[in-house]
Amino acid sequence: MAMTARQRARVSLYVQAGIFVVAIAALILATDWETIGNSVFNFAKIGPMFPGILMTGLVNTLIYTFLGFVVGLSGGLLLALMKLSSFPLYRWIATGYIEFFRGIPALLVFIAFGYGVPLAFGVSWNITVIVMISLGMVASAYIAETLRAGLQAVPKGQLEAARSLGMPQWRAMVTIVIPQAFKIVLPPLTNEVILLTKDSSLIYVLGLTASQYELTKFGRDGISSLGAGLTPLLVAGAFYLVITIPLSFLARKFESRTARSNR
Amino acid sequence: MNDVVNNSRGGTATIHAAGVEIKDLRKSYGANEVLKGISLDVAPGEVVCLIGPSGSGKSTLLRCVNLLEQPNQGSIHVGGFEATDPDVDIDKMRRKVGMVFQQFNLFPHLDAKRNCSIAQTKVLKRSQAEADKVSMHNLERVGLGHLADRFPDQLSGGQQQRVAIARALSMDPELMLFDEPTSALDPETVGDVLSVMRNLAKEGMTMLVVTHEMGFAREVADRVVFMDGGVVVEEGVAEHVISAPTQPRTKEFLRRVLDPTHIGLEE
Repeated sequence: MAMTARQRARVSLYVQAGIFVVAIAALILATDWETIGNSVFNFAKIGPMFPGILMTGLVNTLIYTFLGFVVGLSGGLLLALMKLSSFPLYRWIATGYIEFFRGIPALLVFIAFGYGVPLAFGVSWNITVIVMISLGMVASAYIAETLRAGLQAVPKGQLEAARSLGMPQWRAMVTIVIPQAFKIVLPPLTNEVILLTKDSSLIYVLGLTASQYELTKFGRDGISSLGAGLTPLLVAGAFYLVITIPLSFLARKFESRTARSNR
Repeated sequence: MNDVVNNSRGGTATIHAAGVEIKDLRKSYGANEVLKGISLDVAPGEVVCLIGPSGSGKSTLLRCVNLLEQPNQGSIHVGGFEATDPDVDIDKMRRKVGMVFQQFNLFPHLDAKRNCSIAQTKVLKRSQAEADKVSMHNLERVGLGHLADRFPDQLSGGQQQRVAIARALSMDPELMLFDEPTSALDPETVGDVLSVMRNLAKEGMTMLVVTHEMGFAREVADRVVFMDGGVVVEEGVAEHVISAPTQPRTKEFLRRVLDPTHIGLEE
């Protein structure tokens, strides 16, 4: 007996649902719930993580991300302008920088500035400086590309109109082009902040003193000291989500606003 | 500067009109020569319309006058400036030359009044209060004083173009360049823009207008210049060039743009 298209669609839906139920049932039966409970969801033992992970870890993660973003935004804007410059040398330098720092792992940069540079040049930087330099340098490369795209998305007529009114090039950029470019790149820029928040976790490889701990360091220390298995990492991960999910929500909001105001 | 004060007191506009002298102007993009030795004089207060088929170089010529395009050869004399002198202060020269674009190019992040005042405060260093006064005067001049706080995307095309004219006028230019100012407009808003331009011509502004509006050219222009293939083919009193052209290329072009039955009937 032939089925109509609608009947076929319904059967397909039932089949998919059936597979799902069987898979879940198998998973539940096969799982060692006691072990999982002890080593992943062992929330009874994580008490000692508080209030440190909140008052120190979360706060430091936010501070490190913010510092990295401030440096990254300034550096990124400079690189973006260099990349669009009519002076070839600037373009080459910017391209080289961006390709280099986007192409190597951020962890390498942290190790270089956390251990390599202080050792090689006999300087001792405090953690804030290391974070600003390493996170900022990596962020600059990514933000530069985002801003360059934004600057190029501003119609050429805007610069022409500004120049026609007698504005010098720099003034036209500062007053007319850059503000519009920032509006365009607000959604991708918010995503850069999310990436930066996660990259700030790499700081844990540096020798941190207790007051400098950020979320990942708290999670990692928790694993070895609390005997609650992976649970401390789960808690640290949850705090990252507390930061990143609202940001991602914000990015979507900016996106729909930009889409609406597009002419 | 005194003009501004007079203007903002609501008196009749006092315009310092400047002339333009263009001599043997040449411009190429690579091997493609767009302007092949153009000479054209515009007297102070004169209104000259540039007409011609697309690709004839008329917009390029206009854009050379305020150096949005860099000429390869020849000279352009504007309001005491030699535009082709490598040492010319471009920004200072451009303050005297108002430019109106086909696509308006209003600043979308600023309201109508701020569009008019931004260059006054940043370039002419006027106080915000003075700049606002001048902006309002010019917005009223184009009939849009009541929409001063609207943003460009809240205005119709014709209104945006009138704001763009007010923005240019707010710098007290001595010469106005119009690059197909009505080509991007809905037909019903073209009239408002043309009437603003007509008034400006009456007030004695020097105007160089690239346009396809033959009615406007005939009525308002002192002189019409017909360009084709990068050269001036024919020029003269508007009435003569449009109604009784002597060159075959001019005749052919005008036959195409003036005869409505011609449009769309060709294979």
